[in-house]
Amino acid sequence: MGWRWLVRMKTALILLGILGVQTAIATAVPQEPNVPGTVEAWRSGEEGPGELVAAGLDAIGAFDVYGSAMFLALLLLLFLSLTACLIPRIRAWVRLVRRSRPPLTRSVGKQDLVSEFQTDRDPDDVHGEAARLLSDRHWRLRGHDGEDGPPAQVAAEKGLWSREGGSLLFHLSFYVLLAAIVFGQLLSFEGQVGVVEGDRGFTDTEVAYWNYHPGRWFGPEQHAGWQLRLQDFEVDWIRDPTAPGAGQPTTFRSDVTVTDADGEVIEATVEGNRPLNIEGTKIHQLDWGYAPRIVVEEGGEVVFDDFITTVALDRAGFRGAVKAPAATPDVGLDVFLYPFAPEGEPGDPPTLTGAPWDDDPVLIVSQYRGDLQLGLTQQTVVELDTDLLELEGGGFLRPGQQLTIEGVTISFPELRRWVGFQVSSRPQIPWLLLGSALLVAGLVPALYAYRRRLWVMATRTADGTRTLVRVSGRAFQRPDRFEQEHARIVAALAEATGELPEPTAPPPAASDPDDGTSEPATAGSHSEVIHR
Amino acid sequence: MTPDQLADLSRVLYSPTTLVLYLASAFVYLYALTTTVGRREEQERGRRAQKLGAALAVAGIGTHVAHEIVRGLAQSRFPLGNMFEVSSLMALVGVVVGFVYLTFIRKRAELNGFVLLGGALVLASALLMYSEPGPLMPILDTWWRHFHVSLLVGAMGIFAAGFVFNGLYLLRDTGERAVARRREQGMHGSTVGAAYVGDLEAADGEHATDGASAGLEGATPSGALADRTTDTLEDVGDDDRDHDAEYRAALRAGVSPWKLAIGTAIGTSSVAWVFVYAADSLGEGLGRLVIINLVMVAAASLARWFVPFLPSTATMDGLAHRTIAFGFLMWTVGTIAGAMWAEQSWGRFWGWDPKETGAFLTWIAYAGYLHARATSGMKGRRAAWIGVGAFIVLMATYLIANYVIVGLHSYAGL
Repeated sequence: MGWRWLVRMKTALILLGILGVQTAIATAVPQEPNVPGTVEAWRSGEEGPGELVAAGLDAIGAFDVYGSAMFLALLLLLFLSLTACLIPRIRAWVRLVRRSRPPLTRSVGKQDLVSEFQTDRDPDDVHGEAARLLSDRHWRLRGHDGEDGPPAQVAAEKGLWSREGGSLLFHLSFYVLLAAIVFGQLLSFEGQVGVVEGDRGFTDTEVAYWNYHPGRWFGPEQHAGWQLRLQDFEVDWIRDPTAPGAGQPTTFRSDVTVTDADGEVIEATVEGNRPLNIEGTKIHQLDWGYAPRIVVEEGGEVVFDDFITTVALDRAGFRGAVKAPAATPDVGLDVFLYPFAPEGEPGDPPTLTGAPWDDDPVLIVSQYRGDLQLGLTQQTVVELDTDLLELEGGGFLRPGQQLTIEGVTISFPELRRWVGFQVSSRPQIPWLLLGSALLVAGLVPALYAYRRRLWVMATRTADGTRTLVRVSGRAFQRPDRFEQEHARIVAALAEATGELPEPTAPPPAASDPDDGTSEPATAGSHSEVIHR
Repeated sequence: MTPDQLADLSRVLYSPTTLVLYLASAFVYLYALTTTVGRREEQERGRRAQKLGAALAVAGIGTHVAHEIVRGLAQSRFPLGNMFEVSSLMALVGVVVGFVYLTFIRKRAELNGFVLLGGALVLASALLMYSEPGPLMPILDTWWRHFHVSLLVGAMGIFAAGFVFNGLYLLRDTGERAVARRREQGMHGSTVGAAYVGDLEAADGEHATDGASAGLEGATPSGALADRTTDTLEDVGDDDRDHDAEYRAALRAGVSPWKLAIGTAIGTSSVAWVFVYAADSLGEGLGRLVIINLVMVAAASLARWFVPFLPSTATMDGLAHRTIAFGFLMWTVGTIAGAMWAEQSWGRFWGWDPKETGAFLTWIAYAGYLHARATSGMKGRRAAWIGVGAFIVLMATYLIANYVIVGLHSYAGL
């Protein structure tokens, strides 16, 4: 246990495995930050595997895996393990880059790949030619005159630091990503707000948002105070029920004007993939719905007059609510909007289609009186808490019509739309991009670079008339690729020394070496390489 | 042509045309693989068969590409908007990358049969998710999608090829280990082993030689024979050929067909249960599950028959590793691109949406494979098993996030 345990690759693999299991849980179990409604339904047993299992899941934090203590602990362990792995590796790598010289060999013939040819050139000449050729190809070189120790040769190495360096860069990029994510949590801001077409708009201040999620270090003074108005919202669908993709939206666009703190007015369009960027703050168009204007009068006095925001139900119209505490007792209206509801046969109610386009809208209103319990119970904008309310009646309402129930007059003068905007400021984005770029930049050499060594040894033939040139080499990774490279170098060297290489024996079959991953330390042990 | 006619044409190009061409090419290539160990004239036939297989494969790729283009024209958009289109492109990328890599880079064209067979299976499975051409939601209509989805789907195809290589590696390795084990028994003069060998010799047919090479030819180094099965082009003597045939049969017998079938069924079911969940009726879903299982078990059994003709385990392992490394790089870039698009489109770069979680899980699984392969004590069989598991994770999260759990990515589903 302890440090030694952390340094092991096996530990890292086990930790990765646990991370995988946690992620699998997060895939299978609904996550509270994403779908709080579903989680609630699981807890109450309405959906999912039942109340008991849900309680168990809750106990282990399975509804919020990425916010659970277990995940944080795992993350800590992973980064500790990573750090423990990386420190010695970085040290070794720096030593390698600074000090390492290609090793000389005593037995050039015993490498994985050996080619030879003869030439009339002098051995020293050949060595010079080989050094020039290899340094042109960016190999690290080491010449040796053969005075003592191994015979005269040119030893070369390539891919020495790029593979390991890439791997280190890849792993180091996680620290950049982690730091960006942590600081992002602290410094970022996100808020949502709904804006009705042509209405008074919205000003970027703390209190104006419907949902407000500032990071811990984000102060209200950081709001720029610009004002946004929704001039026009366009939405359309494939209306032909027989067409392919019937009912799919085709347009989804907001024309807005933004007045910044200096009074400068910007006109812009916000679309699905095109958020508006104001001084580093992004405005996304996330949601929309219809906004009927509803006026409620009681005894000649207006107790409510506003656009209400209705949200789309699953292919069954839109839902909203009117909450009028100004009346005594409170008036609450449960409102369903069907945008396309043509008149039925005389005497029949309108035909409620699920279509979302507002060709023939109708409101279905149910009127409640009693105590709305505003601010006392958890309730959404679109639903009433009917515990202390009493149903008084209801009816259909077309635009321009009015309806009177128990002395309360409800009118529906016009129908507009509202758009849900998300406003976000994320200073961590450039750092995340940097981290991602480093990650990919490290991954490419970590997977594709390969370390290999080459030796060129030219000696006089036994009869002393010619020069025998032997080129041997071995690759620590990707041997198939090195085989081709080796052949090319031999050919180039033979050409440079004015000879054609003789066909050489194929490499010994038994040494179909492991592709990819043998570490230098272990791989070096079964070769005849002399380390100095 | 009207969009309807184009849609019909694209369907015909897909199935039966492309499907049949892939299957035909696969079987021609698989035949060619069996000739690599034969006499000179057989090898000559094998080379001609490889040419035919390549022609069929190229024709199949051609009709597949034509299908994508025609389908794109029929709906006036890039055909990457639903499960069917994604699976189809996954098959196309897997086949093209596998074919080009094996034929031109690794010069192992004889293995193309497995890649094309895998491609045909993905192609056929996409038919389970077939949907008529249709337009796209406006939010998907951006070049980000082409970039992000193409990379991930491409990576899926490449991972599929990597899975095929990993599976073949495990088959071959299991066979080789079984032979080595039996040889050891034979050399130690174990009476059990001897009786076993005798039994098998008495039996008739191909499997009769099973164990004979283990018991009687114990002195022949398996490595040399293993390489001869694929790498030697010179004609070998009759004696050698007999030894080879014995060794090949022993290799095949080393992979238990029952274990293979049960293992394949378990692995397949761990993904294919989604079809039961998503089907309209339980009967229909179970029917699909059974068919998918039968097809996969048949494919695995077919692969088992070819175990003796495979190149050495080191080669198969190398192929799997290089393929998966490439897929991992694409998956990484594609996921980062997805996060960038999500920041642009949804206003957050990462939200643990089911599909995002699935992509992350797949990434971890393949990272696990790459690390395992670099770890002594894990490389080889264990790493290959992690690679197989990673592919199961990939396919399971792909199907689950579309059919089982509703998330922001769900419009990619149907």
